[in-house]
Amino acid sequence: MTAARLGKLAVPFVILLLLLLFPATGPSSDLVKILFTTFVWIITSIAWNIVGGFTGQVSFGFAVFYGLGAYAAALLINSGRSPYFAFLGAAGVAVLASFLVGLPTFRLRGPYFAIATIGVTEAVRVVMSNVPFTGGASGYRITEYGPFRQLEHYYQALVAVALAVAISAWISGSRFGLALRAIKQDQDAAAQLGVNPYTFKLWAHAIAAALTGVAGALHARYNIYIDPTGGAGGVFAFTTGISILLMPVIGGIGTVWGPVLGGAVFGIVEEEIVVKFPQIHLLLYGALLILIVLLEPDGLVGLFHRIVRLFRRRRDDSGGPRADKVLWGRSRLEGREL
Amino acid sequence: MSLIDYLDPLVAAVLLAGIYAAMSIGMTVIYGVMKIVNLAHAGFMMMGAYFAFELFERFHVHPVIGALLALPTFFLFGMAVYWLLVRWLPRSDQPTLSSLLLMFGFWLVLQNVALLIWGNEDQSILTPMTFSVIRFGPVSIATVRLVVFVLAVVSVVVLQIVLRRSWFGRAVRALIQNPYAAQITGVDDRRTAMLSFGVGIAFAGFAGSLLAMLYSFSPDFGRQFLLRSFVIIVLGGLESFSGVAIGALILALVETFSILFVQASYQPAISYGLLVVVLLVLPKGVAGLLEKKWRVA
Repeated sequence: MTAARLGKLAVPFVILLLLLLFPATGPSSDLVKILFTTFVWIITSIAWNIVGGFTGQVSFGFAVFYGLGAYAAALLINSGRSPYFAFLGAAGVAVLASFLVGLPTFRLRGPYFAIATIGVTEAVRVVMSNVPFTGGASGYRITEYGPFRQLEHYYQALVAVALAVAISAWISGSRFGLALRAIKQDQDAAAQLGVNPYTFKLWAHAIAAALTGVAGALHARYNIYIDPTGGAGGVFAFTTGISILLMPVIGGIGTVWGPVLGGAVFGIVEEEIVVKFPQIHLLLYGALLILIVLLEPDGLVGLFHRIVRLFRRRRDDSGGPRADKVLWGRSRLEGREL
Repeated sequence: MSLIDYLDPLVAAVLLAGIYAAMSIGMTVIYGVMKIVNLAHAGFMMMGAYFAFELFERFHVHPVIGALLALPTFFLFGMAVYWLLVRWLPRSDQPTLSSLLLMFGFWLVLQNVALLIWGNEDQSILTPMTFSVIRFGPVSIATVRLVVFVLAVVSVVVLQIVLRRSWFGRAVRALIQNPYAAQITGVDDRRTAMLSFGVGIAFAGFAGSLLAMLYSFSPDFGRQFLLRSFVIIVLGGLESFSGVAIGALILALVETFSILFVQASYQPAISYGLLVVVLLVLPKGVAGLLEKKWRVA
């Protein structure tokens, strides 16, 4: 193993160590809150990428798992269970929901699947806004005894992010991940080679749902109050599903670090810009989406690689593929069938 | 309940089906020619509603005229959007992720622009027509619903004639049936795509301004109708124009009669549930089913 490769491998651990030690510097509670929220977004972003990026199944329906995780955790905490039990419960409920959603909808392909997930989200949102035992549209409050310790939340979220990255990295390198990529490239060819697309999609979906459910639970416990639809904060809101999809696209789908980067950028932008210009945040996201799709379909990671290649080429200009070919090479999003 | 009690909801359902067909047909044209699932459809419908609203408030143009004016305006708007954004998308004979995300991004932009211009309040267009009622024997019909129905049906029929008779229509149908063969026979696919995108958006704007006569609207307007359009075109089989009419009628009937059995607040869940069920049971839609049954010619 070369030194450069070793250095590359070490970077995530160094970042993790820095984030672990970060509270020792005595940051303001606002900053901790921004980081916490960003962690929660990163988890959902990584989760979406497992289904949308690795497997190529675009889902608009991740708000379902996020919301169900939040509500499951809220109900468990209110019945006196420990938060860790509540997180596990949230993951379990989300996995169950993922099978309920996935068993029928993964019979569908491409755009049909994407459209069906919109239908599922809206149906779940309507039902959850009317269910009486969680307060319907007026929301649900969590009552937890004991003092509010912000750093406890911070570390819980950090551990969850680390876990999510580890799972994502494992999938990316494993046979399981190869099977998912095969399904993304050509479902029929994958089936010919003995990969059952249906079961593999279901498992990928279940893993993603579990992570999203935990993210929802973290969000619920921190915010004490959750509601199904209200504005941008509603756990089942259409905008929540959009945000979850937007982050991996910003970062670069189908990669391990793209969703992390996208989630980090999104989380910080969401906390900083939306607070300052709440009236144009949809415009920003929309314009960003259009720009990424038309100019850099591989997201920030693609941009990064492009810049790296530019510098490499300067250093040794002898031979190798022609620069314009590398720069405008076939990108991952381009022309790919859903 | 006697039979006559079912007549009122039945008439209401048929009237609703008219506008449903007009709002979905634009989506079918765009999907058929370009294989783009136009998520921005809702945004264009919302813009159409505000278009009629502005004409009515500022220049006292009757909303019926406003709706008719929306057709050419949104046709040009659609072509401009195609020229600016859509034509840069990679071509494919399957819907691509990039097209889905691009249209979605454009929808967000439209929503936010409307929010900046008109604010978040619900608006509505009220004319003397809004509150008048026509009676046919035991059935009473709101005048405005009848007017909207007639306009919607006429527009859909005219589009159908254009698609059947004109060279543009032949090019559109050829591209839907087999894009490669169409190009070999000399169909300019870029030009046809641009025109059909314009037509699709024209119908979105038109349907939006018709809906503005019936419902109140805000920049968020259109999402429920976007989902309904999905249900309809999926019911119809995505690329079939007659399928749209059938799909619209089925959805309108299900929605109207489900009120008799389900609590009204759960009612939206019915159409979304229907969407998933239809996708599973009839992935090719009603048209696909009919095609299978009567494959004689």
